[in-house]
Amino acid sequence: MSTTNRREFVVTGLGAVALSTAIFRSVQGWLGQAGQYAGHNLARPLTGALTPPAAADIDPVAHLLNRFTFGPVPGDHARVTAMGIDAYLDEQLTPETIDDGLCDRAIARFAEAWWEPLGEAYEESAEALTPILRRVTLLRAIYSRRQLLEVMCGFWSDHFNIDPGKGDCRFTKIDDDRRVIRGHALGSFRAMLRASALSPAMLWYLDGRANTRLTPGERPNENYARELMELHTLGIHGGYTQTDVMEVARCLTGWTILAKQDDGFSGKLLSPFKDRAKVVFRQEAHDDGPKRVLGHEIPAGLGEGDLDRVIDIVAGHPSTARFIAGKLCIRFIADEPPAAAVEAVAKSFSDSGGDLKATLRTLVATPEFRGAAGLKFKRPIHFIVSALRATNAATDADRGILSHLERMGQVPFGYPTPDGYPAAASHWHATLLWRWKFAIALANNRIKGTRIQRATLAKALGGDAALMASLLNRQASSIESDACLKSGDDLALLLASPAFQRC
Amino acid sequence: MATIGNLSHERDDPRTLVVVFLRGAADGLTLVAPIADDNYHRLRPRLAVKPAAAVPLDGTFGLHPNLRALEAAWKDGDLAIAHGAGGESDTRSHFEAQDLMEHGGSTAGGWLARFLRARGPASSPLSAVALAPTLPASLSGAPSAAAFRSLDEFSLMAGGAAETLPAFARELRRLYDAEDQSLRTAAANTFEALRRIEGIDPKAGPDHGAEYDPSDSFARGLRQVALLIKADLGLDAACVDLDGWDSHFTQQTLIEPLMLRLGNGLAAFRQDLGPRMATTSVVVMTEFGRRVGENTAFGTDHGHGGAMFVLGGGIRGGRVLGGWPGLQPETLEGPGDLPVWNNYRNILAPILARHGAAASLTEVFPGFPLAPLELYG
Repeated sequence: MSTTNRREFVVTGLGAVALSTAIFRSVQGWLGQAGQYAGHNLARPLTGALTPPAAADIDPVAHLLNRFTFGPVPGDHARVTAMGIDAYLDEQLTPETIDDGLCDRAIARFAEAWWEPLGEAYEESAEALTPILRRVTLLRAIYSRRQLLEVMCGFWSDHFNIDPGKGDCRFTKIDDDRRVIRGHALGSFRAMLRASALSPAMLWYLDGRANTRLTPGERPNENYARELMELHTLGIHGGYTQTDVMEVARCLTGWTILAKQDDGFSGKLLSPFKDRAKVVFRQEAHDDGPKRVLGHEIPAGLGEGDLDRVIDIVAGHPSTARFIAGKLCIRFIADEPPAAAVEAVAKSFSDSGGDLKATLRTLVATPEFRGAAGLKFKRPIHFIVSALRATNAATDADRGILSHLERMGQVPFGYPTPDGYPAAASHWHATLLWRWKFAIALANNRIKGTRIQRATLAKALGGDAALMASLLNRQASSIESDACLKSGDDLALLLASPAFQRC
Repeated sequence: MATIGNLSHERDDPRTLVVVFLRGAADGLTLVAPIADDNYHRLRPRLAVKPAAAVPLDGTFGLHPNLRALEAAWKDGDLAIAHGAGGESDTRSHFEAQDLMEHGGSTAGGWLARFLRARGPASSPLSAVALAPTLPASLSGAPSAAAFRSLDEFSLMAGGAAETLPAFARELRRLYDAEDQSLRTAAANTFEALRRIEGIDPKAGPDHGAEYDPSDSFARGLRQVALLIKADLGLDAACVDLDGWDSHFTQQTLIEPLMLRLGNGLAAFRQDLGPRMATTSVVVMTEFGRRVGENTAFGTDHGHGGAMFVLGGGIRGGRVLGGWPGLQPETLEGPGDLPVWNNYRNILAPILARHGAAASLTEVFPGFPLAPLELYG
């Protein structure tokens, strides 16, 4: 609805009484349609060169695909081998140039869920919103050709974790996902950090909305200020003090979001629909005295300008470069990344002013990245999505898939605390039983809303051995081939195998 | 990574917390009736539990006769009760009160999930379970949590071809045996858990002469939890719901069968587990209690303070915890409700401390000044 926003349209047409019912039905409608397309128009066409990897070990192309995608789809290896690693990286780092028709179709039914203005989200049934965000995120991970973008969105969703289960975040996390995470995932770290600081969901999740100084004696709410430095920028050992936390909190006093009623934090709400959750700066709630943050003087009287000073100071801090580089190296290289790689990536982050494309290019070029093939334990989302991609599954990414992720403890946007899902393999080893059960269920088409066509896939690839190589991103070893033959269910066995748990 | 030993049962190590949620707001004043309080009989002329029928607990309270099965636990000091229990929500909305209580306040994730995370990575694939179609909010964000209906859902068999399973498991094991130590150990733990799950005989009778009503889904759920506990699978938390307590109309008809199921089910569970009850804690909670004065439809409306039960786990029971202010008009709040003087967190906190989270209680219940009840001393 480009000229009239949806609310005005609906109110004019139906009257306010019918409004909530109508919107409830429309949400139900989008969800209800899901069952109709599983197994049909979302099967990826198996055309072009599909030659699977021929090497006995994971080659550089397979390694890049393993780490920079949610797992290759049949044909990816042949395509990237033909175009070359550099060209592939260029392509993935400019996602806007990649045609993404299949993914667009997969998520089209949810397009209305992106509210403009955000206040309209509050008219929806609260319980309907987070499931939409989860499904859209999984569908993109499964179907998008902009794989590096999706992988980085997953990375930043953990880094700037917000559990939509807290208060109004259930209405505003979708907006945070779009503007903060997706808007900057491959862009500028500073811009992403600033957008996050002013995201309605973050202002609620970490209590920034309640960080006010209306009277001289009022103490600021430090929650966001602390996590900003501990989790989002410098890292816990990054060299900030409790005084820095309090000073940053003072700088950010006055930023809040408009609420339905005056809850003591927010300003007057002008329109209950358009302006709800709108971010405002309340000068009268801002501590406008002089501050000192991490050794930098911030003069009195800057008002809302304090925010940009704080963002500049923390985004540009050398500890931030090391902290972000360390997390990227953990994600893409190893749970305990080699120091040389972290240093190189941190330098690139600093030198580029937090340009995430330049930083990722540096990471890929490190010898430590190249030497880490096949050694990383996939987290549950990565495991499940890679299995769906490798088997060319058609899926609605609905309860059938989510119930498996629940058992493995990694529902998208389901992590309660601001530190995000843990990265290290040790946190996920106890999920093997559920991985094996998922492998058996997928291979035998026993997941509701998800279908694979094993015979079609094997035929297109050139036989069972090619299917195995396509799944493993290398030729099967002799023990794997032998185990497949004897297991009675070779596809399930490979999906459950140690090699498929790693990337 | 934990070794197989961690799956084992340590006698002196409080292990499993079972949370029974009575959805719909159970009437604490019928479950645990203040039979000696004149105001109770004045405000509940038709619905009050008659002193002669009640199971006497102390000078003030009596259990509803349908909970008689719990009398033995009370006398053994294995059952404690808190009245005026509940949360801070005063909207009297089922949804909001359950949501707040299961999250442990206006915060992200469930309180059980934060408890489990505070204790570190799960060592067992069956660290937390819920007898339900989906996970309750209290387990939202747990390291690993499985909603299930029947034990065979945990076996590898479900979803695969039964005849090929032994070969499949053998070949899978062969592949994992060739792995580095941490993954090999994780796989070995998982195979051991599977062996123990598949070793459970659901047809075998309960232990110690316990009898579960086979026609009662609540009793069947408790029985499955007992089987998991006895199989030493490393179960840390289990959630079992008993729904249907919203008794606005003809309350007795509605909740008397529920109380019978609750009492008999818990008593059978306790008897079945026998000595293992010393390391198993059961908590019974509900989102809020009901109005003290009965309504004209032989029912009660939404109130505030309710009742919570704690069973087993080495408590010093046989007590109603946290006092009793009486039902005189000046004690009641709002439209005539029992206030909350025992916040549910203060009842859960000492249990969680006992179950290994003593150092993490402020993470489990953030933003709340805890004053844990003396459950054990």
